Amino acid sequence: MKGLIRNIAAIVALGGSVALAEVRLQGAGSTFVAPMMQRWVSEYQKLRPDVQADYQSIGSGGGVKAFLEKTVDFGASDAPLNKKEFAQAGGVSAVVQVPVIAGAVVPGYNLPGFNGELKLDGPVLANIFQGRIAKWNDPKIAALNAGLSLPDLAITPAHRTDGSGTTFVFTSYLATQSVDFKERIGASKQVEWPGGSGGKGNEGVTQVVESTPGAIGYIELAYALENKIPFATMKNADGKFVKASPKSTSAAGEQAAAQMDANNAAPLWNQHGANVYPIAGFTYVFVRSDLSYMHDKAKAQAVAAFLTWVIHDGQQFASQLDYAPLSAAVQTRAGQAIGRLNWSGAPIATASR
Amino acid sequence: MPAGVTSIESVEKKAAAPGAGESRVSLRRGAYLPDRILALLATCSALTIILLLVALVSVLVYAALPSFHTFGPSFLVHSQWRPNELERIQRDADGKVIKDADGEPVTQTLPPAFGALPVIYGTAVTSALSLFIAVPFSIGAALFLIRIAPRRFVNAVSFLIEFLAAVPSIAYGLWGLFVLAPFLQAYVEPRLNAVFHRISGLHWLASSSTTGRDIFCASLVLAIMVIPIITAVSRDVLRTVPSTQIEGTTALGATWWQTSWEMLRYCRSGLFGAIMLGLARAAGETMAVAMVIGNVNEIHASPFAAAQTMSSLLANEFAEASSDLHRAALLEVALALLAMSLVFNVVARWLVVGGGGARAAGGH
Repeated sequence: MKGLIRNIAAIVALGGSVALAEVRLQGAGSTFVAPMMQRWVSEYQKLRPDVQADYQSIGSGGGVKAFLEKTVDFGASDAPLNKKEFAQAGGVSAVVQVPVIAGAVVPGYNLPGFNGELKLDGPVLANIFQGRIAKWNDPKIAALNAGLSLPDLAITPAHRTDGSGTTFVFTSYLATQSVDFKERIGASKQVEWPGGSGGKGNEGVTQVVESTPGAIGYIELAYALENKIPFATMKNADGKFVKASPKSTSAAGEQAAAQMDANNAAPLWNQHGANVYPIAGFTYVFVRSDLSYMHDKAKAQAVAAFLTWVIHDGQQFASQLDYAPLSAAVQTRAGQAIGRLNWSGAPIATASR
Repeated sequence: MPAGVTSIESVEKKAAAPGAGESRVSLRRGAYLPDRILALLATCSALTIILLLVALVSVLVYAALPSFHTFGPSFLVHSQWRPNELERIQRDADGKVIKDADGEPVTQTLPPAFGALPVIYGTAVTSALSLFIAVPFSIGAALFLIRIAPRRFVNAVSFLIEFLAAVPSIAYGLWGLFVLAPFLQAYVEPRLNAVFHRISGLHWLASSSTTGRDIFCASLVLAIMVIPIITAVSRDVLRTVPSTQIEGTTALGATWWQTSWEMLRYCRSGLFGAIMLGLARAAGETMAVAMVIGNVNEIHASPFAAAQTMSSLLANEFAEASSDLHRAALLEVALALLAMSLVFNVVARWLVVGGGGARAAGGH
């Protein structure tokens, strides 16, 4: 009996000690950025043990919805907020939207017995995902991969079933490559894919590709490398075949600052440049610009500090996880946007300590 | 039959009915106060439960109204499910792009379109196929428990069968996704698909690709999930067959199988009720199906084609349905599912417990 009481006391004490964090931040959204976000959260907690941030990887659509409903402190999405969503949030001045990282969307495939480097280009990829190219040994694919023997296997395109920023980046890229794709399927977080097989989250699509011979699915680079899924080399806007990597994604981001709109959103796909990977996108984080709704000044300051740290010191961890860090110009713009965070009009200190 | 015998039976029935002969507690003034309070609490509990059901249905109807207004009854027969807008470039009769005064192509924006036919089809086909697989096993198991198993084993075997019902459905989904689907995809489906290709009358059953995550796999998983329900209810229904019936058929020279067949015929409405209960479970099952159905909103004839059921559609899309119309369309699908489950359960109840069962007991 005494031993039992002692054990229960120990468990209660342990449970109590976990709740030392003064400030709890809640974020949700994109599965695209989830590995990076988890790393940021744990690194930032080492820096400031009193701040515990929690990120739920539920998809960009879910992140936007949670942000609009104020159930999270910050939302993350690979698709920037559109006009309707800004209106729902109370106007463009009510939201601070900043890019925090750039990532690549790769077409991962599962071809048993194939050991070469698969090459694809935009129009062929668009036709594959529209179901027009049904077999791996189709002449259009063979034309790009001279000398490699492709199996006579049916192609199963794997897509996202949930509202996904990865889908937004991928379909936006394909819409620039094929007018037919733009008109039949369109570019959005959630589209009507013909046929194929669906999965929930980047994790779901990865699982579909891993378990289905002949599958091809669009996933973030980190997921492909982590799960050792081979992915195709894509032909970029300059006609060069480029493999996705932090370097080629950064190359895509170099033009970004010049193309940013008033809300710091810029398309990273289909950029010009010899070493640019064509299917890349930013992940954006949004917070309300007036944080007084939180009723907790320490929390508001923690949000501002966390975001500032993410766009500056947090970028050092990017290439370890196969993401591309923000360029200096983009960091400056993002920093300016974070400077708009206020508490009922009074600016919030944005030092990261 | 002499009139007197019928009336004795009806008197016996009335006496056996619950509540007959006991004093019903009264809520009127003058009755003992603690009794009245407790009676009031019991009444409020029942009313609360009924109110919950009414509230659920009315919230669903209210939230689905935008979809009713936009699509009308044709929502149930359209097969497009497109949550995004599409921009179509207008072309003239020759296929040339029409340009406006500034030289920009004129575009037409197609609004989102939703139609529930693919998911209704998916639910119907997976439920029907799962029953097709499960019912022979269930009825056979029930017959075994009633007619063959030694009495001391009946409880243990019943417990094992009902234990299948206690496994959480997500466990079934994970098993289906990681064990059954790859097995079907590697060994079973290619061979069956080849057979369908070869037999000329069955070409429509063949599919262009077999991923293992399709109607067939979902139906198998559902079949395993409904077997315990159908077995348990069938066993109880078969138990109600009076021994005079069994002894009578045996006395007339019936073999074991002929007697069993007569028993099944005797209880047929109860057995239909058991099957309907299984159907209600199969139609509503969400997580297990969502993981193995393939999540494609299309109608194909082949069982090796991926599909979507009403519940898996809701599981996949509801959390992030950002536009009001999308959410309303999903809630209209939820209402359709609710209506279907209600119909199945009412019919099943009527068949097993109510009019159908009573007719079976009294009519032969």
